[in-house]
Amino acid sequence: MSLPQALDASALPSIIFTTAAQLVDCVDKRLLVILRDGRKLIGILRSFDQYANLVLQDTVERIVVDSLYNDQPRGVYIIRGENVVLVGQIDPEKESSPSMTEVSLDEIYAAQQKESDERKRKEEVKTGKLIDLGFSIEPQVEDLY
Amino acid sequence: MLPLTLLNISQGHPMLVELKSGETLNGHLVNCDAWMNLTLEEVVQTNADGTRFFRLPECYVRGNNIKCLRVPDEVLELAREKNQQQREESRQNRNSNQNYGNRGGNGGYNNNRGYNNHNGNSQRGGGYNRGGGRGGGQFRGGMNRGGRGGY
Repeated sequence: MSLPQALDASALPSIIFTTAAQLVDCVDKRLLVILRDGRKLIGILRSFDQYANLVLQDTVERIVVDSLYNDQPRGVYIIRGENVVLVGQIDPEKESSPSMTEVSLDEIYAAQQKESDERKRKEEVKTGKLIDLGFSIEPQVEDLY
Repeated sequence: MLPLTLLNISQGHPMLVELKSGETLNGHLVNCDAWMNLTLEEVVQTNADGTRFFRLPECYVRGNNIKCLRVPDEVLELAREKNQQQREESRQNRNSNQNYGNRGGNGGYNNNRGYNNHNGNSQRGGGYNRGGGRGGGQFRGGMNRGGRGGY
């Protein structure tokens, strides 16, 4: 005798959570977490709660500048949900991308410094131009979100 | 094991707390609550640039200022062990409850009686301060004393 349609597990509609509960699928997987300050953490999600507070194990902090990156081992993190911008699963097959090159910490810091100097210079030029045009410019706070 | 449970388990362990401002606090966790408020001991505080360091014997952090916490690896291990332990205990409790269901029931009844006593004292005026309510459950003299203290 065959089971009624309703009892067939594959026939159940997959429930779509729109809140932190959606993270159930991500538990014990390697994730990229981006924080409000722009930091990128990569680690294995061990648990989470209704605030999207996260526990990450074997975390590395990845600093990315253009096509350069550097990973710093950080261990276990408890992240307060408020500060999370994005959580994304990492495809292990595509993790090592040939377009990115790993460099030393000193190199990445130098690259980061260079990038921020460049951005500051551009910002100054822009501000100067806008002031010439009669706009009043408020100082920008460096918070992405 | 939920994040806040893990935090509870890390009591007594060293940890690094990063605040939203970028400041960091390095110290031993003394206590924490459901709002992630923390008390730390033997703290080294650094400013956002990491250029200045301050030693604080103890400090309190209101949870909403926290960005993230770094805890030692062994805390996860500890959490796993505790989890296992709890599961076993609850399994044993379930078994013993099945055998001695009446005992569990009595326990509940006693608890209720204590609660009612407390209420009764309040009605008589003695329970305005909590000590009076508790004392009154055992003998009258205690209740009266507590009642006077309340004024």
